[in-house]
Amino acid sequence: MEIDGNTLIFIIVLLFLFFSNPSGDGVTSQYEYNQLQTLKDQFRREHLQFHNMTSDLNFQNITGLKLSYHDIVENPELNATYPIEGKDYEHWAASDEYMILPSEIINEIKQNVWNEEKNVFPPNITSTLHGQITLKSNDKFQKIPMPIPRFYEPPDDFSQNRPKSGETYPSEWPNYGELHNVTFDRGEIVVQISAASVASSSYDRKTERFFNTQSDKWRLLQLQIDFSDNSEQEKHSMTGRAVYDVARGRILAMSQSAKFHSIFAFPHYMNLDGKEEESKATFDEVKQLLDEYWNASDYVNTLTMGSLQNWYDLANYRCEYVVFLQLEPWKDFTPDQIKIIDDELTWPLGRQANLSHLPHVNISSGFLYSPDCGVALQLGGVSGPRYELQIRTIRIHLLFGIGLLAAQIYLLLTQMHNTNTPSSVNKMSFWCFSMMNLVDGSLALIYVVASGIFIELYLPLVMSAFACFILATVFETRYLISIYASQLNEHNVGIMTLLRGNAHHEERITPTVIPDEASISSSLYGRLFFTLVISTFVILSSTSWPRDLRTMFEYACITVLNSYWIPQIIRNAIKGNEPRRRRHLEDSQRQRQNKMPLLWKFVIGTSIIRITPVIYVFTYPSNVLRHHKDVRFVVILILWLFFQIAVLYSQDILGARWFLPQYSIPEGYSYHKGMALADVLEHGGSSDYCVDCAICMNDIPLYVNEVPETHKIDRNSYMVTPCSHVFHTQCLESWMSYKLQCPVCRAPLPPL
Amino acid sequence: MSTETPQGLWQFPITKFCMICTVSVPIVASLSDSKYWFVLNYDPFITTYRQYFRYILFQLAAVNESDVAIITLLWYNFRQLERLMGCRKYLSIIALSWFYTTTILAISNKLINLNPLFTWNRFPTGALPILLALFHFYKEYTPQIYEFEVLLTQPFGSHSKQLRWKLNDQFVINALIILLCLNQGLTGISSGFLSWLCGVFIDKGLFPGSEKFRLPFLNDRMNRSATTIANSNVTTNNSEGEPPQGELNEEEIEEPGDEPARPLGVQFLDTFRR
Repeated sequence: MEIDGNTLIFIIVLLFLFFSNPSGDGVTSQYEYNQLQTLKDQFRREHLQFHNMTSDLNFQNITGLKLSYHDIVENPELNATYPIEGKDYEHWAASDEYMILPSEIINEIKQNVWNEEKNVFPPNITSTLHGQITLKSNDKFQKIPMPIPRFYEPPDDFSQNRPKSGETYPSEWPNYGELHNVTFDRGEIVVQISAASVASSSYDRKTERFFNTQSDKWRLLQLQIDFSDNSEQEKHSMTGRAVYDVARGRILAMSQSAKFHSIFAFPHYMNLDGKEEESKATFDEVKQLLDEYWNASDYVNTLTMGSLQNWYDLANYRCEYVVFLQLEPWKDFTPDQIKIIDDELTWPLGRQANLSHLPHVNISSGFLYSPDCGVALQLGGVSGPRYELQIRTIRIHLLFGIGLLAAQIYLLLTQMHNTNTPSSVNKMSFWCFSMMNLVDGSLALIYVVASGIFIELYLPLVMSAFACFILATVFETRYLISIYASQLNEHNVGIMTLLRGNAHHEERITPTVIPDEASISSSLYGRLFFTLVISTFVILSSTSWPRDLRTMFEYACITVLNSYWIPQIIRNAIKGNEPRRRRHLEDSQRQRQNKMPLLWKFVIGTSIIRITPVIYVFTYPSNVLRHHKDVRFVVILILWLFFQIAVLYSQDILGARWFLPQYSIPEGYSYHKGMALADVLEHGGSSDYCVDCAICMNDIPLYVNEVPETHKIDRNSYMVTPCSHVFHTQCLESWMSYKLQCPVCRAPLPPL
Repeated sequence: MSTETPQGLWQFPITKFCMICTVSVPIVASLSDSKYWFVLNYDPFITTYRQYFRYILFQLAAVNESDVAIITLLWYNFRQLERLMGCRKYLSIIALSWFYTTTILAISNKLINLNPLFTWNRFPTGALPILLALFHFYKEYTPQIYEFEVLLTQPFGSHSKQLRWKLNDQFVINALIILLCLNQGLTGISSGFLSWLCGVFIDKGLFPGSEKFRLPFLNDRMNRSATTIANSNVTTNNSEGEPPQGELNEEEIEEPGDEPARPLGVQFLDTFRR
């Protein structure tokens, strides 16, 4: 390409577009700049108040904390505008007069949720916990109005530069219905705990460093809580920072959004018991923790448009939650042992840590309260393994899966080696292998997607994806191509004609030029990748469907995809293999041609390899996918597979068409038949009724129907093609193992 | 014996086995996140945890990738030894070297750590000790075939003299051994030296076994050395584009007048080639 002035300008414009993307804070307009500045000013102002706060002072002008529960009970019409007349800003106590929690909830947490005594708790509790959640009440408590500042709102028109001032209250919002209420009584909860022990003071998070100087006492966590009813019709979630009291095993988590700046509330809310000195110490320590986090992350300066928009969405669509969790102590361990275990989990060296007997991270009691929606929920039986242990378990499963895939590749190779001629490949079912191919290919794509999500499992996931990919796109597709190529003759042919085996060849409209393997393979690869992408999207999106729909879809898919021998049974019936007994009587050449196309090793091995993961997922209660247990389905599935294999076996023993009624089985095309005298003469038959074999150029003595003296000639010694060309049986059979085309006129030949 | 080695590795089963193990064991170990089992440090693994099995494990896999590459190349270069000794003796010598180097390294490590001034903590990873022991055998029994000189005219500015550098056909393997030792630092050099001494002692009979000891479970079929006669001749000739008469005839008889049946591998390649 010649580079002239125009091209250069084009390249410069392109580069400008590339490099002029929004900087780290994501601001793209004057309006957004002002929005972000307003937010930063708000946080700076609030942090200044927080900085000067002590354990006996109330919150002043901090978003979401301006009103206490008591204020709302007194005057439900009260607006959250600082300063509120008559409100006591000079004192603090853990009661509903100062907190956003009703006193009933405060007492409940003091008595039934949080323990006072110190014990041994694991300091590092990164894990995913599963359990049950129960609704305590959704209409008993007053909702505290939490307004959203209007500067969060997007601009009305392009010329607007200044964000609006003021606030909007819930009464002005559209009705969000179930989004702002919990209507089910019992449900499931997933708590994901991760450590927030490092912070970075830049947008790109390249230089992360530890900030916590009291990590033996206090830890900052990131909590993600998802809960839904059992049928997953109604889903709620809460994301936020949490403070973990390592000595007492207490966790306090609060969501943060445009209407609730919970980060400033932790020191006060960590103290529910009234003992003065202890609570003062707690307040100061938690405040120090948050201050260290604030400084290390340079909180205000690293705020982005992303966090602004995210907080605005959260404020609109979600309730705010205050979460109180109490961990179960690890009484059997000393702090030293726990340290060794922690070291071994984060940096394995083979220390004597006995990881196989590590107890689960267990939340003995927990409480969720939403001040702005007035919803109280209780959780119980929430537990799960440490994240690193979970990763280890998954890794072992993945390695086992790689073993299964390797076995499948080996079996497929032996099967391909067994059927390496077009005649034998012709007997295979295209759809049988298409189904396997679809499963393996989708699995490969799912593995690839997962390898981007689970960084710790990158290597085994990529290895699994690689094995699946090799199996699906190289071996299986290669086999599919040769099956497809060998069956091209049969396109445009009805099933009855196929059963008959091309007796009426003049009816057929077939292309004389059969496309070569390259064009077949490109079309098949195209089709494969298209199906793979579609099926992967469907599978990935199905994980978020409601449970009933998802279960139905899953069961249907598994049943259909485990019916892979059905197409082969049909194919066998179409090709019509002889029963085994009759095959044994025939000579070795015919026997080779007539053997069952599928190796039994392949059939049994493939069935076992493909059913093993399903059996595991459906019968082992604590499987890695957290799939529910359904033994009945698995038994039915195994019986279904067993039935398919039994039919395949019966076709081997009794002949492929034993289950079809006699009249529906017309004679197949017979290559060995006598010839009419006219045909012989037309083919240049000599006076002794012989024709030349076009392959070996020797004479073939023929059986001519009209001439009785030729009737002692064995009709099996020569073959007549549908296009009436005659060859020696040996010559044509060895040719047909390469191509199913007539060597003389290239007309398609029915396979043996 | 011809100076030309047989092509490929199909006549060198032990070399092949060692190369495959050198590569596959670390891969499997990192897949299963268990590489740390192949690390041996005196403290804490021996002193505190008493994990004596690590003495056996540490030579089985190299922990870092460059060591894996160098060790694999060295095994390949040592295939001359397998050709010289035969599979059975070669494997027995490897086993002996493994045993003696591990024992000597462990004992000398204990002894050195008895003195309070200096501790030797880290052991080498990978088959460095075995290879260094075999290096003695290689140097002792493999003849030098050719040598050449490298002339560098004034390599260090215009006033320096001409540099004359004499290299022989074994310079690659010498370089690899030096790299292998340097790659693991002081540990590599010191334990490499000890292992090389082990090789000398095994060869001279100071450590018994090199003549008598043979691994018992190997059958006689293995007890032959790779040769360049017979089958290997065919392969060398074939590659030169002059197929021997006999073989071609056999093929012709099998498949009269046909294009030869394509093996599976060729079929795969053809799919993408055409």
